[in-house]
Amino acid sequence: MLSRRHFLASSAALTLAAATGVKAQDRKVLQVFIDGDTNISGWWNDILKPAFEAAVPTHTFNVTITRGVADGNGTIAERALAALQAKADPQVDYFEEFEPASVAGSIEAGLWEEMTEANVPNLKLVNPAAVEAPIRLPYRGSQVLIAYDSAKVANPPKTFADLVAWAKANPGRFTYGRPDKGGSGSNFVIRAIHEANGKDPSAFTKDNFEPAKAEEMLQKGWAILKDLHPFTFGEGTYPAGNTPALQLLAQGAVDMIPAWSDQALQALKQGVLPETVKLVQLQDLALCGGFAYSAIPSNATDLEGALALANFMLSPETQTSCVKDIGGFPGISWDNLPAELKAEYIDVIPVSIPTFPSGDWQKAKNDGWYKNVATNLTQGG
Amino acid sequence: MIRFATKSGGNTPGHLQRTGPGREALAGLALVALPVAMLLMLTLWPTVSMVIATFTVDGHMSTSRYAYFFTDAYSLANLRFTMVQGLVSALSALAISFGIALYLRFSAGRIATMIHALSLFPLFVPSIIISYALVRFLGPNGLFQLLLEQVGFTHYRTPYLTPVGPFLAFVWEALPLPVLVISAGLTQVSDHAVEAARDLGAGPIRILWEVLLPQVRRSLLIAFALIFLGIIGAYTVPYMLGPAAPEMMGVFMQRTLGNLHDADAAQVQAVVLMVISSVVGGFYIATMLKSQGGER
Repeated sequence: MLSRRHFLASSAALTLAAATGVKAQDRKVLQVFIDGDTNISGWWNDILKPAFEAAVPTHTFNVTITRGVADGNGTIAERALAALQAKADPQVDYFEEFEPASVAGSIEAGLWEEMTEANVPNLKLVNPAAVEAPIRLPYRGSQVLIAYDSAKVANPPKTFADLVAWAKANPGRFTYGRPDKGGSGSNFVIRAIHEANGKDPSAFTKDNFEPAKAEEMLQKGWAILKDLHPFTFGEGTYPAGNTPALQLLAQGAVDMIPAWSDQALQALKQGVLPETVKLVQLQDLALCGGFAYSAIPSNATDLEGALALANFMLSPETQTSCVKDIGGFPGISWDNLPAELKAEYIDVIPVSIPTFPSGDWQKAKNDGWYKNVATNLTQGG
Repeated sequence: MIRFATKSGGNTPGHLQRTGPGREALAGLALVALPVAMLLMLTLWPTVSMVIATFTVDGHMSTSRYAYFFTDAYSLANLRFTMVQGLVSALSALAISFGIALYLRFSAGRIATMIHALSLFPLFVPSIIISYALVRFLGPNGLFQLLLEQVGFTHYRTPYLTPVGPFLAFVWEALPLPVLVISAGLTQVSDHAVEAARDLGAGPIRILWEVLLPQVRRSLLIAFALIFLGIIGAYTVPYMLGPAAPEMMGVFMQRTLGNLHDADAAQVQAVVLMVISSVVGGFYIATMLKSQGGER
């Protein structure tokens, strides 16, 4: 009986090997951890995996989704840090998106591999605006854009002043989401604050928040938005998030909104937004956006493979897929992408990618908006 | 001891006390010990410590946080908006459900059964679903507007993102409870009483006012308290359907805590709402006790 069972088992293994090919068995498996949304993990599994296996025949990867489990990738990074100190196998090769500073002491301990053109050649293609530190690999981004219905809007705004002028000339046809409920509304509010403060995003940093000064700077922004308030949809009833704002555009209730690039592009692709909806970026100063940064632990089980994966992620082919398949912005410069792709997206390519500090500035902005802009108190509501 | 033993007239307090501090009583105490301990630990203790915390500023007793709340025009507007929404929605739901209950009391047949079932339907629909449904139905260029335009009405203004949006959802959601409670109250009114009043020359309004209403007055008060409490603590409906500002207290508290990370201010808002709820809750309990006493 024993020998018979043994025979059955080994013949089954042989059949399996014959069916899948020896090559697949020889491939080393990289452990990739993702805690982003399903659109990201789905993209990695369905599109990037076969492409990576074709590009780097010696390797493949296995995606583990950490979204909503404990601290997501943070928990895995802490495990890697413990493994570094114990000189054990961290069982991780690649973090799809991770902020190394969020695990205290991990940077000082040397947990994160520094990536340069020497070990990741495609880094030379990266958008200079996205470069942060060698331990952070910028590989995809998204930015808030202006989405408009081209059937109703003949000349889309190119500047913030144009946008305000259009909204005033077309009462009720523009709206933006509440700033605390989603980034699209939030970054529009920030753009107004930038507009009121010399269009200079660098005037707002993580460390320069000072209540009295902030109040003065924000009040200038509130003046612009209060002025716009009666001309927005429903005379100042703002939708509660990114999706409700897109919904109003999809239903034809408004003709123009600020929207996240990836959400709008995906909605267009899925037919949720009508084909006539087009996207445009303000050219005087773009709306805010940001990049997703990958990280590789220096003690990765297969460091060489992980670096090969990083290089693959920055290849023009993968970056094209990032734009086409998930509506993301490329981590590499648009100039390094196919010319026809660049031509297709010319309206949304920003001159710059401004940011706004988190923490106190965000709080002051969100609460100030409710108390100064959204409120209809003065109108007796 | 609560006087519930007098309710049915069967057991008297004397009967109950006969068991004395024997084994049965101990068993009873043991049974009730766990839920009471849970109540003390998970509800009462956090509440008390939270209320104390709202009066403590830098280690000293202070009412400054409340002073801020009651002088801040924005906070007050939110509180006022919440109360008005609660009152108007609860009273409207009561009025409508009283009508439905009256109809059900005096009619029978398939249509009545259908209306009864329909009025209970909201009981099984979560508020997130009704919110999305109303956005699609009543929203701009939604089904309702399209239907109106079919018959030539083109001046529709959507209630979505206005105070009317949450009002409609609240009324819809609140219907089943008063329909049940008032129906139960109305079945206690005998046909003879109504017929007798009619024979004495009472009109429908007089019958309603002097025969039917007194019988269901307590049911109405109880239903009002329950609906009102549900509405002033609501979150999903005003978040999804209401305007950006003023905010209802549930949304306001969530934003204060979740977005501004200002736990102190959120606690003050919670205590203010809790005091109002306690007043209405106390009124509810008083009504309940009175009605039990009344049946003695």
